Amino acid sequence: MKESESLEPPVFWGKRKGRHRYLTWLSLSLSSFLALMMLITYESRWVYPEIQGYFSQTGNLTGQQLATRSRSYVQRAQEKLLVASMPADISHIRHHLELAYGLLDVDIYKQHYACTTPSLALVDELTDLIEQQHIAPLDAAHSLFIVVECLTDIEMSQLDRRGEAINTFATSTRRHSQMLTYSSMVIFVMGLLFWGMHERQLRRTERATNETLAWMKRAMRDPLTGIGNRSALQQDVLARAGEPLGLILVDIDFFKQYNDSLGHPEGDQLLRRLASLLEEQLGEGAKLYRLGGDEFAALISCPDDQALFNACDQLIATLRRSGFKHPAHPGNQHVTLSVGAVRFVAMEVTFAHAYDAADKALYRVKIAGRDGFEVAL
Amino acid sequence: MNVAKISAACWLILIVSWLPIAAYAQDLTIIDGEKSQQLVLSDVKQQADNTVTLFDPYQGREVEVRGIEFRRFLVEQFGEVPPALHFTTWDDYNVTLSGWEDPNWLMVVEEDGEPLTLRSRGPLRLVERDIGTRDIAKLREFNDWIWMIRSIEAQW
Repeated sequence: MKESESLEPPVFWGKRKGRHRYLTWLSLSLSSFLALMMLITYESRWVYPEIQGYFSQTGNLTGQQLATRSRSYVQRAQEKLLVASMPADISHIRHHLELAYGLLDVDIYKQHYACTTPSLALVDELTDLIEQQHIAPLDAAHSLFIVVECLTDIEMSQLDRRGEAINTFATSTRRHSQMLTYSSMVIFVMGLLFWGMHERQLRRTERATNETLAWMKRAMRDPLTGIGNRSALQQDVLARAGEPLGLILVDIDFFKQYNDSLGHPEGDQLLRRLASLLEEQLGEGAKLYRLGGDEFAALISCPDDQALFNACDQLIATLRRSGFKHPAHPGNQHVTLSVGAVRFVAMEVTFAHAYDAADKALYRVKIAGRDGFEVAL
Repeated sequence: MNVAKISAACWLILIVSWLPIAAYAQDLTIIDGEKSQQLVLSDVKQQADNTVTLFDPYQGREVEVRGIEFRRFLVEQFGEVPPALHFTTWDDYNVTLSGWEDPNWLMVVEEDGEPLTLRSRGPLRLVERDIGTRDIAKLREFNDWIWMIRSIEAQW
């Protein structure tokens, strides 16, 4: 237990550190991809209203230039003037000129085009002259060409301005597009890098976890026989808390003499063979442990004392049938066992008492001449 | 006698020549499905009870206008504010727009004390009392102002 206590803190500290790094890389990676999405959304938001502003003006008040519409009415007035034969046409001419005036009388035109104000004055003057029939229709139509010329200049200039604005917009869009492309690439690469780091950290953490689990597994195993050790026995008892269990302690009689006569390799071989035999005999429901030296322990589900008695009896009988040779045995040429057993309800406190009781029972078997078993009641 | 006849003829010609002008821009057609109604502009003008000073970006200056809250006008004409309205104007401009629940819209009949005419983009004009934070240099931001309104058709 002391050994495991000394090892646990670094292992868990390392795990915590690894988990922290793993989360850091993961969050950095996700943040990069989130930043990429935000950048794309931001750029889209920038582009969309500009597109709306420049390219979706058809069908509304400023979709067609006011100057174009004004020119259209001036030209209609000219047509009427050229074919005017009845006074009733005057009202139509006046109507067209009024509309032309209204569409030209815009502050932005007055500010940017010097011909606007004189043209408005001319329309005003010609309207009065036409109404009063103080001007020949042909002359009036001719005079209106000055207004048409002004309106055409405005139209062309406005188209140029719009073209310039669209060019500026296109340049700006291209710049934003390049910035978006490069930024996206950088952020994407960063995201991949962070994701790679996260994957690397994940693998490291998994490897460390597996190593820890393997270490823990090894720490619970007896390296010679492959069965559980004393720590595993305690852990298993705690894991089955509340269950009625039987604890069987097994000791090989005269094992020192066996080693002395046949050598330690043979002694190790005997331990392995006995472990296999005991496991096979006790069955799948039982678990076998090596407590050290020549001492084994077994845990079996045990509803009553008779079941424990039968298990011990069969253990001794099976070993006798196996007939493992023991040349140095004082009274017998075969390996014999001393077995002490006890039934208990699995708990940490009861296990200590049970172990003590089984050990004493085993000791009594030893005193009584070995090669037998006793169930402590 | 001849002079009297010539004088009468001149007056007749003058009256006849002015009749279509009088017909121009003197009424407003309200269309609600199959039903069509001509409103005399003088009657509409009498309802104008809102006088406000606002900035007209098309004129580049502040003007004092008098008019009718357009939402109230629509309720009076159609019973409620229609989801969309189709406008026809004296310069043959056609447009359908929605969102007329906003009390910000004013139907103007008079500007700086003078009745609106075609040359001042009347006789009826729809403007917004408050233009908020819009850029007054960008006329396209005011392209839902309707000038020279000739007819209003409800679209349900």
